[in-house]
Amino acid sequence: MHFEKPVRLGDLILLDRERCILCGRCVRFQDEIAGDAVLGYGTRGRNWHIISKSDPPFDSKFSGNTTDICPVGALTTADFRFRARAWELRPVPSICNHCPVGCNITFDMRYQQIMRVMPRENAAVNDIWICDKGRFGHRFVESQERLTQPLVRRGDRLEPATWNEALDLIATRLADIQARHGGEAIGGLAGERLANEDLFLFQRLFRDMLNSPNLDHHCGSPAEPPDDELGVLLGPGSGTNLMELGKGTTVLVIGADPEEEAPIYRLRLRGIADRGGELIVAHTRPTRLEASATHALRYRPGSGALLARALLSLVFAQVGSSKLSQRTPGIAELETAAKKLKLASAAQGLGLDEAAITAAAERIMQADHVLIVYGADTLSSGPSLAHDLGCLLLLLGKAGKPNSGMLPLLPQGNSRGALDMGIRPDKGPGYTALEKRGLSAAEMWGAALEGRIRAMYVLGLDPAAVHPQTHAALAKLDFLIVQDMFLSETAQQAHVVLPAASVVERDGSYTNAERRVQRARKGRETPGESRPEWLVIQDIAQRLSGLIHASNGHDASSRKAGKGKRSERKAASSEEAAVLSSLLLRWDYMTVSDVALDIAEIVPGYSGITHEALGRTGTIGNWGRQTNEAFYYDGTNYENTEGIGIQYPARAEQSNFRFSVKPYEVKPFSGDQRYPFVLLVQKVLYDSDPLLRDSRVLPHVSAAYVALNTADAQRLGIRSGARVRVTSAAGSLELSARVFADMPAGSVLIPALLADAPVAQLQTGPQTRVTVELIEG
Amino acid sequence: MFGELLKGLQTTLRYMFRPPVTVQYPDVKRPVRERFRGRHELKRFANGQERCIGCSLCSAACPADAILVVPAENNLEQPTSPGERYAATYEINMLRCIFCGYCEDACPTNAIVLEHQYELSFYDRQTSIYTKDMLLVPPDQGHGEIPPILTQLGDKRPSPPAQIDL
Repeated sequence: MHFEKPVRLGDLILLDRERCILCGRCVRFQDEIAGDAVLGYGTRGRNWHIISKSDPPFDSKFSGNTTDICPVGALTTADFRFRARAWELRPVPSICNHCPVGCNITFDMRYQQIMRVMPRENAAVNDIWICDKGRFGHRFVESQERLTQPLVRRGDRLEPATWNEALDLIATRLADIQARHGGEAIGGLAGERLANEDLFLFQRLFRDMLNSPNLDHHCGSPAEPPDDELGVLLGPGSGTNLMELGKGTTVLVIGADPEEEAPIYRLRLRGIADRGGELIVAHTRPTRLEASATHALRYRPGSGALLARALLSLVFAQVGSSKLSQRTPGIAELETAAKKLKLASAAQGLGLDEAAITAAAERIMQADHVLIVYGADTLSSGPSLAHDLGCLLLLLGKAGKPNSGMLPLLPQGNSRGALDMGIRPDKGPGYTALEKRGLSAAEMWGAALEGRIRAMYVLGLDPAAVHPQTHAALAKLDFLIVQDMFLSETAQQAHVVLPAASVVERDGSYTNAERRVQRARKGRETPGESRPEWLVIQDIAQRLSGLIHASNGHDASSRKAGKGKRSERKAASSEEAAVLSSLLLRWDYMTVSDVALDIAEIVPGYSGITHEALGRTGTIGNWGRQTNEAFYYDGTNYENTEGIGIQYPARAEQSNFRFSVKPYEVKPFSGDQRYPFVLLVQKVLYDSDPLLRDSRVLPHVSAAYVALNTADAQRLGIRSGARVRVTSAAGSLELSARVFADMPAGSVLIPALLADAPVAQLQTGPQTRVTVELIEG
Repeated sequence: MFGELLKGLQTTLRYMFRPPVTVQYPDVKRPVRERFRGRHELKRFANGQERCIGCSLCSAACPADAILVVPAENNLEQPTSPGERYAATYEINMLRCIFCGYCEDACPTNAIVLEHQYELSFYDRQTSIYTKDMLLVPPDQGHGEIPPILTQLGDKRPSPPAQIDL
């Protein structure tokens, strides 16, 4: 009997009914593990078959996993279908750096081409699952738009040049600017997707070679979150495994939308709820995870800090601060501040029941393990929210314990690595204090306009696209170096553009949100003449060392005095000091692993994290490779034989840990007559990420829109689809409106990083106030 | 001694009156055996569709790693081959091929057949790679005609693989 084939379950997944044995694994995966019940059975009898029940069809961000667990190959992805046979593929172990989860993946290569991306089992990170962005979002690697040779500006045009020309030009111009205006006139921005080794060498180039403190990993748009340190100070203790948590665990997810920010966390958190744990989801608007919550809190936009303070005051009332006063200076002040807060007034400010807040606090206090997950909304709403919750953990005595801690969903794949490596103006590698604070990205743009910053090196970032106001600042620069894979908007303004390598074309290590350092391997050659970032940084440094004279050399060792382990040893003899400074001035790394050895030596927290150590396998998980494979089909995912990474310990696990509490003032959110709405910026998984080019998920990237509450929209006469103008004190944007009943009243929501909607243009700070008016509708 | 000389010449004399076993190659070509394994051909179905479905089993079976197959998805309106997949690229490196015929054994559709052409010589390595254009029979051939050798032998059977249809 023949069936028509293929049957499209969605635009990504196709079904071959002639192979399907109706085992229902895909249906069960969607129901039980992904929690998106979008698949089901259609008809009965001999026409019984798998159907998609959602609109748009197969509306799940985890759809690709069904093809892995299909035992007969009836489900195939549109991406890999018939492109090669599985036995012809060469698996290259790697790390997905699209989001902070850091999923272990395998690039299946055939010669130089990526054929498919498969999950690699790691129980501590992604089990055997990956999201569709990770699976289908790596086609950029083979894009025809990749830069293949260095470009140098001649007149108005960027023209191809050799590496020698480009590097010589960079070295002479940087040395010249440094000699005339000092190191402070040079600024560096490095992206959060680069490997730790790139970032480490980048900060060394600036701090040791150029003598410049101006480093950042942001684009400098107004509402960028402050650098998160709680994830390292109070992060989940070593040995944390979300897979094992269940009864006795309370997870508080506050101001985070894991579905959009870090999809695999949604699977893991709802798994905890499934196994009997308490899952408290607190957000201003509905999120996908809320459906799995045991306790949901919807607070008013802008009042997240109030919720944290209310929870904290309830915990103070129960626990008291006496035990903590020794090691946490400032806790008494915080206690008085917290006790001043009346629960009734807090509940009113939050728009919640008193009982709901108390119930949440009780669930947190009664739990054996407390995990606090916070994301974009929390990070961007000022420092006090996360800080108060950190204090809550300390009060409960959970800080630094396994399976308890603060888990920030940082914006990018290696955001934690960028912070660890000290790509920030105020702290060196490993969060060590610096003598002199540099300029942050936002300050650099101002300084560039004033002529205080003369040259910039932008590595793997595109500030001009994210934050359009930077165009003027970039145009003002005497010298702009951009290293990227594509000719981005920023690169078009550069004096020198250097082609970079993608994650598949180089070795490197990446640090995920839970501080797990993981290693990716090289799978293909770089296209054309492009080269990995760390090699280029080293080349620039080598050329600079001849041009920038020795004066830097001797004060390099003294500047290093505050820098990590090596200096802790306090070089006793001058001989040792000489060896030390020569080591620190080293620019002759042969491989990335050599750089990693130096990171392990220098960066506090990274000791022992060498590439060799990252390659060891420990407890991988218990999905695949069953003892009796005849009975258990384990899917087509890969056994992890290449290393599960190392989670470095949180600071709270150290015996000498001290946490200085800052009693932030928490004010109830007040309205503004001129700008009555609060602007919420939602991070979405499928955004206008340049790395999504050529990908099959591109049709899922939505057009820019602004979301409004039904009541607000009615009042303003706005219908879905109408053109509206959103205006703030900083600027305005024209967008089409979408009206939702479950949006919080008094707020408008714009998805971040969509084409033609540069939200940074509107933002004035963490909680931007805007007004909305109808243009036509 | 003289007797032994005559004995030898006797054999020579005997063969003088027999027809010669050698032929004047290349003017005359000796017919090969029916199961001779020579140059490969990619056959077609009677409707002109390619038999090869790009499954790569030949390449997997090849002990000399001489075959490269890059499959692609069929255009359903105008399929190149039956089913959903066809071979977009099909290459055999004749310098690597050992003419073992495992590819023929592995082929599920009898698409690849080692035929009786044995005159394979090249001036350089590049030309030793036979591409799909060279291997594939013309659209009106390759589905069950009697191989030239059998015609030569007066046998009217078509070659066995091409008798089998899907």
